Amino acid sequence: MTLSLPQSLHTREGQPVACRRLLGEGGQGRVFEVTVDGAAHALKLYHPHMAPAAQRGMIERAVQGGPPSAHFLWPTHVVAGPGDAFGYLMPLRPARFRSVPDLVTRRVTSTFPAILTAAAELASAFHDLHAKGLAYCDISWGNVFLDPQSGEVLVCDNDNVDVDGAATATVLGTPRFMAPEIVRGEVGPSVRTDRFSLAVLLFQMLFNGHPLDGAREAKVRSLDGPALELLYGTRPIYVFDPKDASNRPVPGIHDNVLIFRKIWPSSLQRLFATAFTDGLTQPGRRPTEGEWRDALFATRDLLHPCGACARPNALEVDALRAGDAGACWSCGGSVGPVTWIELGRGALALPLGRALFPHHLGARHDFGAPAAQVEAHPADARRRGLRNLGAGAWTITRPDGALVPVPPGRAAALEPGFALDFGRVRGHVHRTR
Amino acid sequence: MSVDGNLPLEMELPGGPLSARPLDFIFLLDASSSMDGAKIQSLNQAVEAALPAMRDVARDNPNAAVRVRAIQFNSGAYWHIPTPTPVEQVAWTPLSASGSTAMGRALSMCAAQLRTPPMPDRALPPVLVLISDGAPTDDFRAGLNALMAEPWGKKAVRIAIAIGEGADLAVLRAFMGHPELEPLRANNAETLVQCVRWASTAVLQAASAPPSRALGAPAPSGNVALPAPPPPASAADVW
Repeated sequence: MTLSLPQSLHTREGQPVACRRLLGEGGQGRVFEVTVDGAAHALKLYHPHMAPAAQRGMIERAVQGGPPSAHFLWPTHVVAGPGDAFGYLMPLRPARFRSVPDLVTRRVTSTFPAILTAAAELASAFHDLHAKGLAYCDISWGNVFLDPQSGEVLVCDNDNVDVDGAATATVLGTPRFMAPEIVRGEVGPSVRTDRFSLAVLLFQMLFNGHPLDGAREAKVRSLDGPALELLYGTRPIYVFDPKDASNRPVPGIHDNVLIFRKIWPSSLQRLFATAFTDGLTQPGRRPTEGEWRDALFATRDLLHPCGACARPNALEVDALRAGDAGACWSCGGSVGPVTWIELGRGALALPLGRALFPHHLGARHDFGAPAAQVEAHPADARRRGLRNLGAGAWTITRPDGALVPVPPGRAAALEPGFALDFGRVRGHVHRTR
Repeated sequence: MSVDGNLPLEMELPGGPLSARPLDFIFLLDASSSMDGAKIQSLNQAVEAALPAMRDVARDNPNAAVRVRAIQFNSGAYWHIPTPTPVEQVAWTPLSASGSTAMGRALSMCAAQLRTPPMPDRALPPVLVLISDGAPTDDFRAGLNALMAEPWGKKAVRIAIAIGEGADLAVLRAFMGHPELEPLRANNAETLVQCVRWASTAVLQAASAPPSRALGAPAPSGNVALPAPPPPASAADVW
């Protein structure tokens, strides 16, 4: 027996909405592919008893306010129909976007640059949402999608987005993602509880495990409501808490987390430690979306293949400054030699193929067309150069003080001791052992 | 935004699938002679129709490795799906109806499988869905006692669906043992579809990721807070 498609729906403006097929179903309602005036959209239609007035008000405000950025499949039109039928239109999600559950179960594979891009883009998306004074209220792996190859992200299910502090939320969040103070029943969702959920989501994406699931979770036989309340509400302990070793990951159960512990740099791990130690009890201490975004992009900038096994490594900037790229997390061999450039406060590893964006050269957050790319010298494959893909000339300052112009289209040799003046920023080229 | 173009970093991420706990979902289905005809057909269709949505819930809950089994009971009780089968591999073979209603025996058989072992030490709460249109003809109490003597039986989320007016609600209530939730009533094929769908999606979701209490609310009764059941249907009895 198949469930019949809803009929006689229309937008608030009076356009007919024709249901084509059921895309999915959740606790609140069902999602259909529909056409309106010949164009395809997604329709979320609430179950009759699941759209109280507060929910309707949130959706109407969302439609009026418009999306915080292009990362959101945002409600565009309110839809009504026979009886009390209520729902909203939003853009359809292209098929290349996959769910985070697909990623963490490894039903789809991703790469180091793509997963860091996706994590940074998510932080950026929620930064934009919070900047509008809104709270998402239910950040979890069920509501975001990513292209596992490019790292592009889409945020769905924006119908619970609410004015921060409004406390009209009809949804408290998703188990294992909710802030402890929500699990304990003390408060409703807000920007600060969003920050906790975001940290959990980023940890799940980057460590393929849960930040609070360690020895204590392993001891629980039946992971039911009371167990979840204890582990994630009344007595949560970070698996890598520097002061409390009672909840470390258990080999054989939490192996992924132990693998990625060796991979991600200390800058990123410090943010997670803050989020899941002080941030457990002090919502104001939770890293902001901007801190996550900057740390994640900075981590991506320092990816470099191992010199011995070619596996990607996320390098430590302090190690680079000390002249040694360190040992590979995978094979234990030496990652170096690594050519890298210090750019203002940032640092970029420069393996073959690395693109630099306007973001790196002074136009923060501009990841449009690449401004430069690392190439091999056409006559000597061992030599590396940085091709100027922009419109302005650069200048090399050689160690002997000589100035060499690099016009657009030409490549600058990447030799230790060279300084490169890109116009808005200056960089210094180094090479490790 | 493909950032690194031909950067030699396009190597797959390490690590295996997220660590998941088994979640055993067991149908206990009445296939006695009173179910013969339209009722057993409707039951077969309702279970089959619920499977795709059940797979979706399982896909979206990577913490749970959902494994399905089914027991049918008539003059005896038999494993209809004997091995715990990943939900994406379940293919439903229709039941046919005859004989009496050995519900107690079905519960005892279920209890034996909820012992540790064969149950693992670590799991999510099992979900047991009992669907019947009549009254047990054997020792129901003995079966229920056996089930409740097993820790996983006690921890299980137990849902009962009564088909038609002849179902023994007192027995189904005792099976559920829930202070607030009543057995679901399915008086026609459409309602049965809704009830089975609810049990295999909303309840499965709740057992996979037990929800928190609502803001300011007291702790829920039972070990898994259950979602609101589907609203009662008003359609006439078609049987």
